[in-house]
Amino acid sequence: MAENNKQDADPSAHETEHGAGRYVLIWAALLVFTLTTVITGRMDLGSANLPLALLIATIKAGLVVMFFMHLWDSEGINRLVFGVALLFVLVLLAGVFGDLLTRMPDALPTGRHAHTLEGGDMPTSPATNPHE
Amino acid sequence: MSQPADSAALTPPEAPAYQKINYLNADRGVMSWLKTLDHKRIGIMYFVSVLATFLLGGIFAMIVRLELTTPEPTIIGANAYNRMFTLHGMVMVFLFMIPAIPGVFGNFFIPLMVGAKDVAFPRLNLLSLYVYWTGAVIVLFGVITGGADSGWTFYAPYSTTTPMTLFPVLLGVFILGFSSILTGLNFIVTVHTLRAPGITWMKMPLFVWGIYATSIIQVLATPVIGLTTLLVGIEKVGGFGLFDPGRGGDPVLMQHLFWFYSHPAVYIMVLPAMSVMSEIVAAFARKNIFGYKMIAYSSLGIAFVGFFAWGHHMFVSGQSSFDGGAFAVISMLVGVFTAIKVFNWVGTMYRGAIYVSAPFLYLCGFLFFTVFGGMTGIALATLSPDVHWHDTYFVVAHFHFIMVGAVIMAFLAAIHYWFPKMFGKKYHEGWGMVGAAFIVLGFNATFIPQFLLGNAGMPRRYYMYPERFTPLNVASTAGSSLLAIGFIIILVYLIYALIHGEVAGPNPWHSKGYEWRTSSPPIKENFEEILEYPEPPHTYQQPGEEVEHVII
Amino acid sequence: MSSSDAAVHGHGGHDEHASNPHLAHHFDSIATQNHASRLGMWLFLGTEVLLFAGLFLGYAVYRHFYHETFRFASHTLSLTLGTVNTIVLISSSFTVAMAYHMVKKGNNKAAAGLLVFTILCALAFLGIKAFEWNHKFVEGALPGKWFTFEEMKGMPGANMFFTVYFLTTGLHAFHVIVGMIVLLWGLKKVVKNEVGADYAIPIELGGLYWHLVDLVWIFLFPLLYLI
Repeated sequence: MAENNKQDADPSAHETEHGAGRYVLIWAALLVFTLTTVITGRMDLGSANLPLALLIATIKAGLVVMFFMHLWDSEGINRLVFGVALLFVLVLLAGVFGDLLTRMPDALPTGRHAHTLEGGDMPTSPATNPHE
Repeated sequence: MSQPADSAALTPPEAPAYQKINYLNADRGVMSWLKTLDHKRIGIMYFVSVLATFLLGGIFAMIVRLELTTPEPTIIGANAYNRMFTLHGMVMVFLFMIPAIPGVFGNFFIPLMVGAKDVAFPRLNLLSLYVYWTGAVIVLFGVITGGADSGWTFYAPYSTTTPMTLFPVLLGVFILGFSSILTGLNFIVTVHTLRAPGITWMKMPLFVWGIYATSIIQVLATPVIGLTTLLVGIEKVGGFGLFDPGRGGDPVLMQHLFWFYSHPAVYIMVLPAMSVMSEIVAAFARKNIFGYKMIAYSSLGIAFVGFFAWGHHMFVSGQSSFDGGAFAVISMLVGVFTAIKVFNWVGTMYRGAIYVSAPFLYLCGFLFFTVFGGMTGIALATLSPDVHWHDTYFVVAHFHFIMVGAVIMAFLAAIHYWFPKMFGKKYHEGWGMVGAAFIVLGFNATFIPQFLLGNAGMPRRYYMYPERFTPLNVASTAGSSLLAIGFIIILVYLIYALIHGEVAGPNPWHSKGYEWRTSSPPIKENFEEILEYPEPPHTYQQPGEEVEHVII
Repeated sequence: MSSSDAAVHGHGGHDEHASNPHLAHHFDSIATQNHASRLGMWLFLGTEVLLFAGLFLGYAVYRHFYHETFRFASHTLSLTLGTVNTIVLISSSFTVAMAYHMVKKGNNKAAAGLLVFTILCALAFLGIKAFEWNHKFVEGALPGKWFTFEEMKGMPGANMFFTVYFLTTGLHAFHVIVGMIVLLWGLKKVVKNEVGADYAIPIELGGLYWHLVDLVWIFLFPLLYLI
């Protein structure tokens, strides 16, 4: 029949070959990593806070994706789909930060002519020039 | 008419000339259409819908062009003008261009081209149609109750502070996005799981490759415009200030989010058009497609690289010149993939047995407009000249060359090529060529003056202009009337053909595309029997063979 | 299915069509159909990733501009409630994965119980979230023009933190609600024995959606509450 597109081995058939213990282990690991990030997150590690938090979150997410969501033993195309989606998220971040990090400072929200308002009404006319 | 010796292989054994019981009449009654799971019927319903929205978008266009006939106010006021060009853009982009070729021809022909009985998720397919109707109705409601005046790009802060409601139109666009996602998702899964034995990836019709690449964009890019419309709507209603500099926000961020979808969106519009052309060029030059693999891969290339280039819409927005430069260079890369396709199409035509007909005329128009539209795109992507051209009619002409010149040519070509298959009747070829002539000539008359206007400095979206721009504007409006006449001519003879047209038979073009290997119109189940696929589609010559000439 | 479908089934494939009521007429085998369903769901999850990406971008951008303010603001959120919510969601991911495992093992009773627990976790999450939001309303720690939070008055970009906070947790909470509906639908199928060891795809797909909800929170929690 359809040899070229039939899944001769349905991956989901193999999923119960391992017991439930695998899920308990992953759950325990997730809790450990959660504890780690809670402790390290509120500590003052300077500029290392963000990368560390993201690293731990990525590991946790990886465990959920690979084992709870079975991407580890799923068809390759599913992995490709998820991977490409993540790649495009990075592209979005890269393109925008490429702009923000190299823009002339006065064109940024934190530039000299910007000022924040807390509360009050939405501005209905352009911000006045502080030099006038 | 003489037939080539192997035409028996093209015609299913006992198929009658006109398939009496076919998908159109297999089940009767309105409810059988509204609850259908047949991809062909869903394609027909999309067809009727997009024709209606095209008409609406065209009316807005005619109003804009009529207004621009004189430098002073002509038929409408300034605020009305803002709404006209905004609605022209929104209706054309979201209600016509994005759904048209995938929704109509993708739905109808993908299963036929991969030897399947339906798409992977027929119920989701019907849902995508319902969601499309819902989004379209909400947009139309917004149009009637005051519409939108922000331009189809609804940049903050104007869109978030304008007194115009805008909300229904944004909501409609948000909902339409889901239809696009469902369609794309369906096609990707169909191509992966429902190809008949014998149809490997490298033997898939190029139309399928193009729609597959389009579907990748639809699935991954559309959520971002969904979020953008949501954020603009929330900011408008709730005063959240995400894009408001007065609250520490960055309005350019909105443009980043908007164009991250909207640039790939233009490839959602143009990739299906290009893939239609890959089918047409092989069928009407009766020659194996030149460079099958490169055309297939270039579709994927456009789909991917199209995601990296969005900043070229933002060169003068306040984006950094470093980022702008990076986007400029990446945008050039997309031109490489398009050029690959153009050279391969021309290579297919070279020494082919050309059959001059309406689809072929549209192909010629398409090639001309793609080359000029594409090259002006590269010119615009070159950052420094774009500082002069940005927000002028040069940009307007460029994207209309692609959106109308390429995509509409392809849409019309697809209608004419596949009309016999979809409806079992032939249209009158003489009138077909008359219609094509009006369209191609009318298009040139409408949009070439706009390049000149833009280069001379006429801004876009402007209601009035300096006296010296009048002659070119008048020329452009006159051209648009030719376009309108062309569309009316086409509509008339196609409707006539539906009712009184000559019976087409299974394969009037003697095309060796896979979709022709069933009756016209197709039966509900698509195929009478399971077919074998020993050769790639459009195999007109074996290696070493000369091109054979067939009188159609 | 019309009778003329029989004409097209040819040799071999129709055996599985006759024996498996879950097999749709246009798929040749249940294995292919399951593969298609899974791929469809992963594509949909891809769209959800891109949807949240825009909000994570918003967070990244404004954190970049106002990092001192964001750091201070995150410390005004309740660490306890955030951590509890995280544990609740992670555990609900565990129980939904177990539920699917039980269905595949033929134990629908255990699966039903696990799904009920998952749904209760979702409710707990929403309850805690509602409590937190209410606190924000009381404090005036709100987005944009509604910002009147005394503790952070005058800090540049203070309102922006709460704009991002409400947008991200709001969209996430919406997905939790949708996820709950999906889980209820799955629960109904388990209770009525419409799924079992030979056909568990609805639970698999529902579980995948629920895991996505957890995935988003795994990133939101440290970014909003911790650093």
